[in-house]
Amino acid sequence: MSVNKWLMPLGFGLLSLFLSQGVSCAEATAQINQDSSCMKCHKRNGAMHGHHAQDSLKLSCSSCHGERGNHPRKPNNMMVFSSESNLSLESKNAVCLKCHIPTKLAKKEWTHNVHAQKTSCTSCHKLHPKLDPMTGLSDQDRSQERSNVCRNCHTVQR
Amino acid sequence: MENSRRHFLKRTCALVAGASVYPLSRNDANAETDIETNDIKYAMLHDETKCIGCNACVDACREVNQVPEGVSRLSIERSEPYGEYPDQFYHFTRHSCEHCEAAPCVTVCPTGAAFIDKETGIVAVNADRCVGCLYCIAACPYEVRFINPVTKAADKCDFCRETNLKQGKQPACVEACPTKALVFGNLKDPKSELVTLLKANPTKRSKLDLGTRPKLFRIKAKEGEIIL
Repeated sequence: MSVNKWLMPLGFGLLSLFLSQGVSCAEATAQINQDSSCMKCHKRNGAMHGHHAQDSLKLSCSSCHGERGNHPRKPNNMMVFSSESNLSLESKNAVCLKCHIPTKLAKKEWTHNVHAQKTSCTSCHKLHPKLDPMTGLSDQDRSQERSNVCRNCHTVQR
Repeated sequence: MENSRRHFLKRTCALVAGASVYPLSRNDANAETDIETNDIKYAMLHDETKCIGCNACVDACREVNQVPEGVSRLSIERSEPYGEYPDQFYHFTRHSCEHCEAAPCVTVCPTGAAFIDKETGIVAVNADRCVGCLYCIAACPYEVRFINPVTKAADKCDFCRETNLKQGKQPACVEACPTKALVFGNLKDPKSELVTLLKANPTKRSKLDLGTRPKLFRIKAKEGEIIL
């Protein structure tokens, strides 16, 4: 019995270690990061490490950022999601909503509903880093972190 | 001779009677003036139009008052979403002790553990006196009381009477609220922010028809649907 008690967590630990190894290996070789035409210049800021880098999603840079067109020399239709970008909120969010269904988003997290017309997805979610800062934020033990995210915008002067 | 003895007895009796009644009457008079001169009556206002449901108040309460996991003195209840995507909103309602003036929990408590603090009007619990009979939990119409698994006594919001108020601070939830949806103050101070807001806004209190005279006021959020 006591051996079993030890073996279970050990097994899980090893399994998760292997899995994480696998993921990081996959990242390095992820198809999306092999796109030489983008990565030639965007080696530093272009690599995808997050969930969206998975090969099985079959995403490329252009799936979100749009076709290259005349970029970088002439005016073009490339999409940039940073806060400095002057893209409209709707056009930014439309990119995410190509795959993500609002009802499913609402089921996962109620705050999606109220922010749908007010903030862009990317003002909270970050897709390029390994871990989206919003991941797991609805866990019970991270409620304080969660309310701090709300506080970033919803604060009045006292 | 006979006459003077009778006089003496009469006067002594009168004096004794007078002396025994006097302190009683004086005490009564004092008690009344005490209530009149007492100029603190704490209350709270939850502006539901400002609340964003971030639960910062709940976390702050837990931390400051050492409320164990699994129970809570304060919670924010979220409604189902109103409206259609993408234009939706929720209602948030504070669920915590309403600090009734005529508190049923205090009336039913057999040991005097539940009491109303005469100086502040706060409904509080003396954990040392509580025997855990659960009468108060059954009696509270707002269902805000619970047995604290650590102290084994009935527990609930006491406006941080033992913690923040003692240190001269506002209750933890009020301090934590990022949108200033919670306002705590003295009902008897006409210049307090609380009273000014109460005078300027239509407010609601829950279950008023029970005669509990609660001191948790709410500025209600806009109606979400048509109710016929």
